[in-house]
Amino acid sequence: MALDETLEAMAGEYVLGTLSASERLEAQTLLSQNTEFAAAVDLWNRRLAPLLLAARAVTPPAQLRQRILASVGQASGSGNVVDLAKRVTFWRGFSLAASAVAAALALFILLRPTPEVAPGNYVAVLQPEGPGPAFVASIDLKDGTIRVKRLGNQAETGKSYELWAVGGGRAAPQSLGVIDASLKIPAGTLGKVDPATLNETVFAISLEPQGGSPTGAPTGPVLYTGKLVATE
Amino acid sequence: MVMTFMPFAVGIMDSELRQLLAQVAQGDRTAFARVYDLVSGRLFGVIGRVLPRAELAEDALQETFVRIWQRAKSYDPAIASPMAWMATIARNQAIDLRRRSAERLSASSSELDETLADESPDPESQAEQAGELRRLSDCMAGLPSERQQMVLLAYRQGFTREELAERFKRPVTTVKTLLRRSLIALKECLDGTR
Repeated sequence: MALDETLEAMAGEYVLGTLSASERLEAQTLLSQNTEFAAAVDLWNRRLAPLLLAARAVTPPAQLRQRILASVGQASGSGNVVDLAKRVTFWRGFSLAASAVAAALALFILLRPTPEVAPGNYVAVLQPEGPGPAFVASIDLKDGTIRVKRLGNQAETGKSYELWAVGGGRAAPQSLGVIDASLKIPAGTLGKVDPATLNETVFAISLEPQGGSPTGAPTGPVLYTGKLVATE
Repeated sequence: MVMTFMPFAVGIMDSELRQLLAQVAQGDRTAFARVYDLVSGRLFGVIGRVLPRAELAEDALQETFVRIWQRAKSYDPAIASPMAWMATIARNQAIDLRRRSAERLSASSSELDETLADESPDPESQAEQAGELRRLSDCMAGLPSERQQMVLLAYRQGFTREELAERFKRPVTTVKTLLRRSLIALKECLDGTR
């Protein structure tokens, strides 16, 4: 069945890279949940790719060759994080980065729970597509707190990471709070998330001005997305 | 009936790249170096349109090859030619970096390059993608020229809606409408000629 014209155009703009930050988040949610939308995105990649192939070749600096050849094959994983990523399709693994930045909509799990996560809790591993830290968000449904653990680099100075819940019946991305310097989001924030929607919710982290989005919707690039998995 | 003549060497390049990517998927560094030698110039060309600043472009090229190394296993020749696949990775890495670094092209930049007609691509790449590119060019030609430019600036140079609005002196909402109409028209045209 064909997509309606609005979704078709959204898929096209997603590949074109012209969606706003919150539309992009909506598109990324659709990608993980709507196979027709995902197929439409794949097709747009195929339709537009020929435009790239007319580019004139430009010889890169000679020293870059050595640097690049030496750089591959040394990237190590994040230890206990395993990429179940086979949900990432052919194009999607990078078309997300494309339209903006980021985020493999892959489902990741922990091979074993991190020590600070009690059994029965939920964990979302938010894995970047590009360079940058990975996040583990652990959510305790009993007291509604979210703890965020960062694996890797520091945030850019003057910027804050903000956590969002997307999909699961929400009309727009819902802010779950700004990740503070101690990598925590103040207690109680998850109280606003209906546990019944958790399975359909995609969590995302965007890079916002210091202190969080000034508008209540994501304004900066969406750097990470992930879904929850139980940790028992 | 239209016949397309493909230079012999191009066919070889395409099948060599497929073979090489299959070897890269097995962790073959020699094959990877050969891929670099064959395509780095063309990928750097794709990146350069998005990122005129040399150091960012070099970072994007490095990220692109890291991605090619990591994802060679998932490359599927039934879906795209090796060059289309790698060029898409390069474009996406470049736009990713452009957005992160908030690098913006000024409207007066002489680098602007928003028409298809002005391009004089490598004979090699031109021939390789002759069929697909021609079909897409024909469909693009059916759009009003302002809309053609918007689509090309967005796709090849990474312009956002806001940047397009500024450049074309149109409200952002109008740009959104024009882009969507253009895409739907392109889809109908391309699907109709397939």
